[in-house]
Amino acid sequence: MNLKGRTRPGFSWLGLIGFGLLLALLGVALVQARQLQLLQQAVRSGDDFAVLSIYQVEIEYLRLRESWRRNSAPNAPSAEAPLDELKLRYDIWVSRIALLDGPRPRRLIDENPNYTSTVLDMQRFVALADTALGTQAQQPVTADFLASRLPSLDALGPAIHALSLGAAHSLAEQNEQRNLAVRQQNQLGLGLTVFMSILTLAFAFIALRQVRQLRQRRVVLEELASSLSEARHEAEGASQAKSAFLANMSHEIRTPFHGLMGMLSLLRETGLNPRQIDYLRTATESADHLLAILNDILDMSKLESGRLTLNPVPVDLRSLLRDVESLMRPQAGAKGLALHLDADPAVPERVMADATRLKQILFNLLSNAIKFSDRGAVLLHVRVREGADARPELEFAVIDTGIGMDAATLAQIFNRFAQGDNSRSRRHGGTGLGLEISRNLARLMHGDLSVTSRPGEGSSFALRLPLTAVLDAAAGKGATEPARPSTSRPLRVLVAEDHPVNRQYISALLDNLGHKAHFAANGLEAVDAARQMAFDLVLMDLHMPLMDGVAATRAIRALPEAARSTVPIVAMTADAFEETRDRCMVAGMNDFLTKPVSPQKLATLLRQLFGRESGAVPFGEPLPSDTAPPPAARRPLTAGSTPLLDDSAIAAALSALSRAELGAMIATFLDQGPQTVQHLRAAVRDAQPLELRVNAHAVKGVALNLGLTALAHTAEALQEGAAHLPAHEIARLVQRYEELLPVTRQAAQQAGLLPASPAEPPAVP
Amino acid sequence: MAGRRWLLKAGFAALSVTAGLGAGPARALDRPAGVVVLTLTGSLRRANDAGRALFDMAMLEALPQISHATRTPWYAQSRRFTGPLLRDVLAAAGAHGTKLRLSALNDYQVDMPMDDAQRHDVIVARLLDDKPLAVRDKGPLFVIYPFDARPELRSAVYYGRSAWQLRSIEVL
Repeated sequence: MNLKGRTRPGFSWLGLIGFGLLLALLGVALVQARQLQLLQQAVRSGDDFAVLSIYQVEIEYLRLRESWRRNSAPNAPSAEAPLDELKLRYDIWVSRIALLDGPRPRRLIDENPNYTSTVLDMQRFVALADTALGTQAQQPVTADFLASRLPSLDALGPAIHALSLGAAHSLAEQNEQRNLAVRQQNQLGLGLTVFMSILTLAFAFIALRQVRQLRQRRVVLEELASSLSEARHEAEGASQAKSAFLANMSHEIRTPFHGLMGMLSLLRETGLNPRQIDYLRTATESADHLLAILNDILDMSKLESGRLTLNPVPVDLRSLLRDVESLMRPQAGAKGLALHLDADPAVPERVMADATRLKQILFNLLSNAIKFSDRGAVLLHVRVREGADARPELEFAVIDTGIGMDAATLAQIFNRFAQGDNSRSRRHGGTGLGLEISRNLARLMHGDLSVTSRPGEGSSFALRLPLTAVLDAAAGKGATEPARPSTSRPLRVLVAEDHPVNRQYISALLDNLGHKAHFAANGLEAVDAARQMAFDLVLMDLHMPLMDGVAATRAIRALPEAARSTVPIVAMTADAFEETRDRCMVAGMNDFLTKPVSPQKLATLLRQLFGRESGAVPFGEPLPSDTAPPPAARRPLTAGSTPLLDDSAIAAALSALSRAELGAMIATFLDQGPQTVQHLRAAVRDAQPLELRVNAHAVKGVALNLGLTALAHTAEALQEGAAHLPAHEIARLVQRYEELLPVTRQAAQQAGLLPASPAEPPAVP
Repeated sequence: MAGRRWLLKAGFAALSVTAGLGAGPARALDRPAGVVVLTLTGSLRRANDAGRALFDMAMLEALPQISHATRTPWYAQSRRFTGPLLRDVLAAAGAHGTKLRLSALNDYQVDMPMDDAQRHDVIVARLLDDKPLAVRDKGPLFVIYPFDARPELRSAVYYGRSAWQLRSIEVL
C-alpha cells in the first residue's frame, strides 16, 4: 500500500524537527547557564559593595571634617568627650580608607590612576594625623594641631568626592555592560524561543497530518472491511442460492426421473422380446447411473450447507460387511477380481455408526477399487488400531491391485471432479464427487479418509473412525430390510400428485399391491377429496400448484369431521432434507417417503401403517400375488417338510430387534399359545367362522413377523379355511397348532433365541 | 541597585532606642565593669540597665569562644575570627523575638532574622587572627557567619547582615 510509503518522509521530518528542538533546548540551556554565570560574577565581584565602601569613605570623611572643624576652633572646649568623639570618627574614617585597599575596590579604582593618587593622599594625611590621633601618638591633640592640619584635610575633599563620582560612573558603566550582555542573552533566548516555537508548530503540524493520515487509513480500512464483509455476505448468499438451486434441481430432475424409472420397471413385466429386454436393461443401467449422480449431487449440496445429519445407532458390523460384500461381489466377479472382506477378531460385534452413510463410503471405495483394477484382488480389512490421541479407532482398509496413482493425482484425488486422469475418467466415468463425499462424510463422523498409492502398484484407502463399541445387546439396525408382504386389505389411497407420469406410476404400484388410488392434481383438490370421501391413506406430494402438500395437510387436519381429519397422511418428496421432514411432521403428517418410491418402500410403509390390522380384511379376499408369504411358507403343510423357524425372517427381525427382545416376544407369544388354542376351540365349537378367522389372522401376522413359520402356516390355513373347511379339518388344524407350540419352543431354544432351560409348558394331550 | 538601597538605609536610618518590652528579667545580667562595647535593647528578659543589656569586652570574653577561619569580601585572604556565638550573647540577655536589628558605629543598620542566630553558628567576633579588633580593623565587634563552612551563606544577603563595628542590637 502506498500509505506506508507516504509516512516515511513524515517520520524523517519529525526526526529532523525533534533534533532541531533538542538543539534549541540545548541553546536555551546554554544561554541560561551564561546568565547564571553573569549573575554569579556580579555577586562575587561585589562591585556594588565596593561602591558603597567608597561612598562611606566620603561620608565618614565629611563627618570627620565636621568634628575636626569643631575641635580646631580656638574657642573649642577642650573636654575629653568631644575629643573621644573626634578619635572615633577618625578611626572609623581610617577603617574605611583601609577598605579601599581591599581587592575589590582596587579593581574599581585601578581603572583610573587619579584614584590611586587620592588614596595615597589620604594615607599620607593619616600618617600625619596619626602622630596625634594614632595608637602610638607622639603629641597631644590640641586645637592648634587640629587647625594646622585642617587645610590639608579640606584639600582631600574634592578628590574624595571625585572618587565617589568616578566609582558611581564606573559602576554605572559596568551595569550598562552587564545590562547589555543580559539584553544580548535575552535576545538570543528570544530568538531561540521563536525558533523553538516554529519547530514546535512544525512538529504539531506534522503530528496533526499523521493523525489525519491515520484516520484516513482507518476509514479506508473500515471501508475495506465493510466491503469485504459485504462480499462475504454476497458470497454466502450466492452459495445458499446455489444450494437451494441444487435442491430445487434435484427435485425437478428426480420427479420426472422417478416417473421414468417407475415406467421402466413396469415395462419389464409387459412381456418383451429378448432384444427389447436388452434395450430396457441398458436404459435401466443408464437410469441407475443417472440416479447415482443425482444422489451424489444432493449429498454434496447437503454436506456443503451442513444440512446432512448423521444418525448413529448400534450396528452389527459383520452383518453390515456381509451386506456390502453381497452387493459388491457381482461387480468384482464381472471383472474376474477376487473380493475379500474380513474383520479382526478384536473388532467388536456392534459399534455405533450411521450404517447407511458407512455403507455409502465403503461402496464408493470398493467400487472405485474394482473400477480401477483389471486383475488381482480387492481387499477390505477392518481392524482396531490406536488413534492419534491414544483413542481406539476403527480402520477400514480398502486395498486393490489396480493401476495406482502418481503423486500429482494423489494430491488431487479428494478434490471435486478429480479423477485419475482424463483417459481414466473417459474409461471409467463417474461424477468425481464420490471421494469428496466420502471424505466429508468420514470427517462428519469425526474420522478421516486417507490414501497411499503408487502408479502400477495399486492403491490403499484407509477410512478411520472413532470406535464406539456397543456393549449391551441393543440390536443393529444397519442391515437392509428384506421386502415384506404388504397388507392384505385393499386400501383406498388418495394420491395428491401434480405430475401425470408420477400419478400413473404410483397408480401402477398401488394397483400391483391391490390397492385403489384416487387422484388429486393439487392441494386444493386433495382437501376437497378428503372432505367428501373416506380414505385409508393420503400420499401427499409436497410440491404442487395452487396449494402445496404441507398447506393441504393442515387443511385436512382442520376438517370438522374427526374420521376425515385423522386420516394418515404420508409425504412424498424428492428432497430428503431434515427440515423438510420436520416441516411435514409439524404440519401433522404421519410419515415421509423419499422419491423414487420403490415398490418395497411403499409396501414397507403400508405394512407399517396397516399390516397388523388384518382383522378388518373381509372374507374371501384373495391375497395379492406379491404380498404372499415368503417362499418357505408356500411349502406343503406337513410337519416333516415345513421348517419350524424361518431363518431369513428371524435374521430380518434381528436386524431390527436384539436377540433378547425377539426371544422375549417369542416367549410371550408361545406362553399365550394355550390361551389361543382355547379361543380357537371355542370358535370352532360355537361355529363362529369370523371369530376363528380374526384370531387366526392375528396369530398368523405375529408368527410371520417372529419367523415362526410352522405356526404361521397353520394359522394361515385356519384363516383361509375358516369359512369353507369341514369342522373336523379345522379341529385337526387347531390340534396341529397346539402340537407345534412345544416343538417350536424347542427349536427356538436350539437357535439360541430362548434360554436353554425354561420350564417346559404343560403338555397338552 | 542593592548597594543603593543599603546606602539609603545607612543614610537615613536613625538610631532608635526603644524601651524594653515584656516581662522583667528572670535573673539579672551582671552589670558591665568596663567600657560598654555592645548594647542590647528590645525584648529582653535579663536586662541589666533599665531594660537594656550592656556588655563590656570581659563579659563577651567570658562566654564560650568560637573561631571561624573564613574568607570574606573584606579581606584578601582567609582570616581567623574569634568570639562568642551570637545566640549565646542573646541568651545571656534573655532576648526573645523574631528579628534582630543590628546597628554599627557608623549608623549602618541591618535586620537579621532571629532564626539566623539559631541555625548558623554566627559569632560576634572580637578577635581577628587572635588579636583584638580595633575600630580601624572594623572592630571592636564584627558579626561573622561561617561563610566557608556553609557555601549557601556566600550571598549579598548574608554579607549585608555581617555588620562590623557592631554597636547595638535591638530585639524585635
